Amino acid sequence: MTVSDVLLEARDLTRLYTRGSEAIRAVDGVSLTIRRGEFVSFMGRSGSGKTTLVNLLGCLDNPTGGELDLAGRKIFGEGKPLGERDLTRVRRELFGYIFQNFYLIHTLTVRENVALPLAFYRKAGVEDEVERLLKMLGMEHRMDHLPGQISGGEMQRVAIARALVNRPEILLADEPTGNLDTKRSEEIGDILQELNRNGALTIIMVSHNPDLARLGGRRIEMRDGRAYES
Amino acid sequence: MITSVKVILLALVLSLAAASVVLAAVACDLNDADRDVPRLFRESTSYKVVYVSIGERGGAPLLKRIENRLGSAYLQLYAPIDVPYTLYEIYRNKEKVGYIHGVNQKGQFGGIQIFMAQDLAGKVKSFYIQKISGKSAGKFREAAFVKKFVGISLKDFDSYDPVSGKGSGKIAEIPNPAPEMETDFYGVLRGLKKNLVLMNEFVFTSERGKP
Amino acid sequence: MITPFQIACKNLLRKKVRTCLTLVGIMLSTWVMVSLFGFNEGYEKALNRDIENMGYQLMVMAKGCPYEAATMMLQGGKGLRYMEQSMVNDIIKEPEVEKVTPILMQAYFDPNKGESGGIAGYFGVDPASYPAMKPFFRFRAGGWFHDPAAAEVVMGYEAAELEQREVGDLTLVPEKNVQLKVVGILERTGTQDDGTIFVPLKKLQQIAGTDKITTVGIKVKKDADMAKLETKLYQLKDVQVVSFSQVKQTILKLIATARVMVLSIAIVAILIAMVGVINTVLMSVLERVQEIGILKTMGAMPGDIFLLVWTETLIICSVGGIAGIGFALLFARVTDILVRRILPYAPGGGLVAINARMSLLTLGTIVAVGLLSGLYPAWRAGRVRPLESIRREG
Repeated sequence: MTVSDVLLEARDLTRLYTRGSEAIRAVDGVSLTIRRGEFVSFMGRSGSGKTTLVNLLGCLDNPTGGELDLAGRKIFGEGKPLGERDLTRVRRELFGYIFQNFYLIHTLTVRENVALPLAFYRKAGVEDEVERLLKMLGMEHRMDHLPGQISGGEMQRVAIARALVNRPEILLADEPTGNLDTKRSEEIGDILQELNRNGALTIIMVSHNPDLARLGGRRIEMRDGRAYES
Repeated sequence: MITSVKVILLALVLSLAAASVVLAAVACDLNDADRDVPRLFRESTSYKVVYVSIGERGGAPLLKRIENRLGSAYLQLYAPIDVPYTLYEIYRNKEKVGYIHGVNQKGQFGGIQIFMAQDLAGKVKSFYIQKISGKSAGKFREAAFVKKFVGISLKDFDSYDPVSGKGSGKIAEIPNPAPEMETDFYGVLRGLKKNLVLMNEFVFTSERGKP
Repeated sequence: MITPFQIACKNLLRKKVRTCLTLVGIMLSTWVMVSLFGFNEGYEKALNRDIENMGYQLMVMAKGCPYEAATMMLQGGKGLRYMEQSMVNDIIKEPEVEKVTPILMQAYFDPNKGESGGIAGYFGVDPASYPAMKPFFRFRAGGWFHDPAAAEVVMGYEAAELEQREVGDLTLVPEKNVQLKVVGILERTGTQDDGTIFVPLKKLQQIAGTDKITTVGIKVKKDADMAKLETKLYQLKDVQVVSFSQVKQTILKLIATARVMVLSIAIVAILIAMVGVINTVLMSVLERVQEIGILKTMGAMPGDIFLLVWTETLIICSVGGIAGIGFALLFARVTDILVRRILPYAPGGGLVAINARMSLLTLGTIVAVGLLSGLYPAWRAGRVRPLESIRREG
């Protein structure tokens, strides 16, 4: 393993919450390294801290302690939390996100939803990505449909296309099949695996569905805010 | 509060001004009717003012008939169809005994206002020039000249044309008291004819028509 | 590709009824505002025109001299007193004075008027300065004098009717037996000018055998202090000052009152529009917190979100504002009629004068106020953190 292979390195990441007078360690001193092209699944029960950890890794939240390096850059660890602006800059450079609830905008067509990130930020050479991705995900015949006119599985495909339109380094998927039936879940699982294998996309996924979690080459079990590699 | 009172006052003043403009269109009145009526109609005890307009008496056909009877540009009415003419109805006790009516006629230097008192048969009882302009204008108002018109009726104009000054009969015999004011002399005669024609149409024709 | 502007438009279309209601609210506010401003401008113009048309607002005359033609005639012209024509030069020096005109009033006895004679009044006016004092004079026939000393008269409407005069006819000055030719007959004004016979000042002075005048008419500058001028004029020897300033003051007060009224209503209209905009935009922001969070995960900066929400406000305000101006223009005549019904005194001419400058100003105001109202919702939207919007159990 060379240094350049390391895409993400977390050292002693901690996230504390206070609930009344009680302090809760949602993430408790997690250290881990993710290399380019890895497919990492985080599993664990409700309240185990898996989503909180993934939010820290995905720069959706500031840690209370510890360090995080991404693509060779120090993100957290200078002692000062990052502001919204800085977090956004990191996110749009490196990450694409998909969520259990898809979060498509219902007044925009499939094509427009996928193109939405480009209205705010556009990497060089992504002009044709919208059509390419929709074709690749088998949605070319639905491009001008509204989200209300397509199925849940199709919605998640659109969300995946949207997450990938700016060519991110890492796809962060939080319970991507949580709202789908088994068949559709399997389809989405296949797509993710395909993107990881042929597209060399690094994927960080949270799921409590063991079948889906098993797709990841690496599985990390979260218990009481701590990470256990299995 | 004060401002609004002023606004209302201003509005009142302006609307009154507008109203007075409308009333100002009355044609030919006696300057002082209470004094003039008894002077022109000796046996009168009271009078009543009536306003008559061609518009309400017969409209356009009546106007046309009157204009035909006057017959000449020199006898123009100078007034729109709806201008009210002031007609004084003269009473002795409760009995109507006659009328006084005036007209405007153009003179050389200004308007001539010619009033006449008529009995119920349409005969001139007295004659009064309320206003006339010119150096010798006073001669037309002298009693000797005025008296010559007493007893004249519309019929007398059948044989005399006040426009050409030709004809015969009572009117042709009246001499011009101020030969240097010929325009005004004929103006007086034309005004008299106009007055008689209007009275004939306003009063005598319609009264004869009554059952 | 989709632009932030398109996103804003589509957001507005999401809640059509709410957007429509807000649009109607802004439209009505703009309509009211444009109409009010138009009324303010038109009303002020019309009232100023009325002041202009009043001609001179001050008269200076020798003490004891009657200043109304009617009084002069009642007194048989006996009360007339004279002053030097050079008085005009003293008065024009005052800084408050815009224009002056010398006038000579004369009255002659006409024995052939009425039962025992009557008075004929004449106004000697300066053809160079008098017509400018009476800009509202319209000629029914003819025009002003051909020469400053011409043997001519201009007659008021009623004077001409009474004398049965037409342009080209002659008149005779009684007592003096001077013949004058009628060169102009005025339209009715509803003032005592209707019964007046105007003669060139020099001609009347010649007839009267004097080089003096009886009156000086003074037009005061628009915003000058008339009371101060009156006090100064009283310092002149043996003169009295007759002022019509009350009417002007009342009209000026009317303008001030109208302005305050219009501004207060406009402010209320703006406040209503503002509350409407804040409500609509804030509601739509609060409803879309999750979506805004997602936009942020896609790379939208707080500034992008702020602009997006602000664009929505801008669209609502512009469309509503333009529609409101359109309505105001379309129904200006109706507004005019309504205003005329309500006002106790409405001057002549168009009361509601809407022009391009005013429309743009109102549109600018509405948009500016709208953007101001959108500030808070847009700021709130910009501050939404993605995590809060997608937080679930962890």
